[in-house]
Amino acid sequence: MSDCDAMRENMPLLLTESLDPVQRELTHQHIESCPLCSREWSAYKETWRMLETLPELEVPARVKQRFLAEIDPEVRTNVMPFRRSPAARWLAQAAAVVIVAGGAFYAGHRLSPTVQLTPTEAHVIGIQQPPPSIPYYSIAESRVLPAASISPQIEGRPDIQNVQFTDASQSNEQIGVSFDITSHVTVTGRPTDKSMVRLLRYVLESEDRESPSRSRAIDWVRATYAHVDKPDPEITEALASVLRTDQHQGVRIKAADTLQSMQSAMTDSTRDALVEALKNDPNPAVRIKAVEALAKLARSGGVLDPEMVDTLRRKASQGDENVYVRVKAAEALSSIQPR
Amino acid sequence: MRASKKRDRDLKHLTDQELMDLVQAGDLSPASELYDRYSRHVFNFAYRFLRSRETAEDITQEVFVKMMKRAAQFHGGAKLSTWLLAIAANSCRDYLRKHENKFNAGEDALINLPAPHDLSPERHMERREAEKRIEEALMLLSNDQREIILLSRYQGLTYAEIAQISCCSEGAVKTRVFRAMSALKNVLTGDTERRLTDV
Repeated sequence: MSDCDAMRENMPLLLTESLDPVQRELTHQHIESCPLCSREWSAYKETWRMLETLPELEVPARVKQRFLAEIDPEVRTNVMPFRRSPAARWLAQAAAVVIVAGGAFYAGHRLSPTVQLTPTEAHVIGIQQPPPSIPYYSIAESRVLPAASISPQIEGRPDIQNVQFTDASQSNEQIGVSFDITSHVTVTGRPTDKSMVRLLRYVLESEDRESPSRSRAIDWVRATYAHVDKPDPEITEALASVLRTDQHQGVRIKAADTLQSMQSAMTDSTRDALVEALKNDPNPAVRIKAVEALAKLARSGGVLDPEMVDTLRRKASQGDENVYVRVKAAEALSSIQPR
Repeated sequence: MRASKKRDRDLKHLTDQELMDLVQAGDLSPASELYDRYSRHVFNFAYRFLRSRETAEDITQEVFVKMMKRAAQFHGGAKLSTWLLAIAANSCRDYLRKHENKFNAGEDALINLPAPHDLSPERHMERREAEKRIEEALMLLSNDQREIILLSRYQGLTYAEIAQISCCSEGAVKTRVFRAMSALKNVLTGDTERRLTDV
């Protein structure tokens, strides 16, 4: 082996700083004195630099949800199975479709007027099973469709994005075209259906700003559940989440106000959200709605806890608090104390 | 709820070993924190190894489930990241064995990455093309060589750590790094005369 060959074998190790000091020095000296090896070294460095430019991919949020659900069944109740990504549009999930084009593309389907989509099994966790004859549909899904199963007539100029192509392999003549397509979905059901409750929870908690405003969603939930005897607590928990996190005071006011109207579905978590809002919300109108809801809870004999009582006491005596908040806090206390 | 949030905050201050001690004692609460620390490493390793986003997602989930189930096997002799990457590398090899080394050659997850604001569309496309070329060059390596380059270049592991994961000697790691880098250099810097002959 020539000097050059030996030195070139050292170059990748030089890049990873894995050469001992003596070899490192010898290799550097050789590179400086040999134009061919100097060129070779530059190419190695350029390759190493190029490898670094490959960007890191984000791990989709659904992977964590699936992992947590798999290790702890209790987590399943918190999994939002419809969520595909934080930027998902309201009720309009991108469905990745792969059309596998084969020789049978036109066979027997020329007269079919619309795209025939085979229902796929939904991966909804923690929801009661439907009767065996009704399949679950997932509104966030990927499908692989043989070309023969779709109509050759593409109607309505669907908006397709992120088009990708798969070449035919030597062993398989099939090619593939995959793309994202936005679907408009209407889900119908009773207000008490678990899937409907989950969907509304998702809508209320969605961070998507393109969807109808949270304010409108809260109005609709309030009107809908006003006539429901016992609303599902997941609805009030979603409202509590909005009360905790929404940046707009108007939305937080509506969330607190709606919670007040849904006392029968109040949980420890929703009560805690009201207490937190009363203690910490910077907007007095939100604190007023929160104290009103807590006062109503106290009057109705709802479940109280020491922190709630303590917060009401402090608010009633807090000199720099809004007067109405102080009065309502005192009212709430008066309805608790006789008990 | 508050207690739970406080606990999550507390977990962030614990070392990997302390979190694994909790898991070994039957506490599942560190799962989320451990996932947050290392899922990116595992996911990117699996994606670059197999070039399939869907399979990388499955393998990431599988690795962390195994981490919880086999927590008792982690004794702190190695770094947790190294242990997780060893599980990931095993899962990737298993996947390739089951699928007879067939790759999803058409998938290009990079295309879905948002364009940086400071790049023109043309420059953005050029960069994507360059990244695609690098991914394709990595796929031209043998599985052993690719595994070692990924662990060395992207995970920053030492040859001793790589030898542990790849179940070979440090000498074998060095040989594979040399061969892989020679091949990548030939492909990426356009040395067509010796293109891939070293692979």
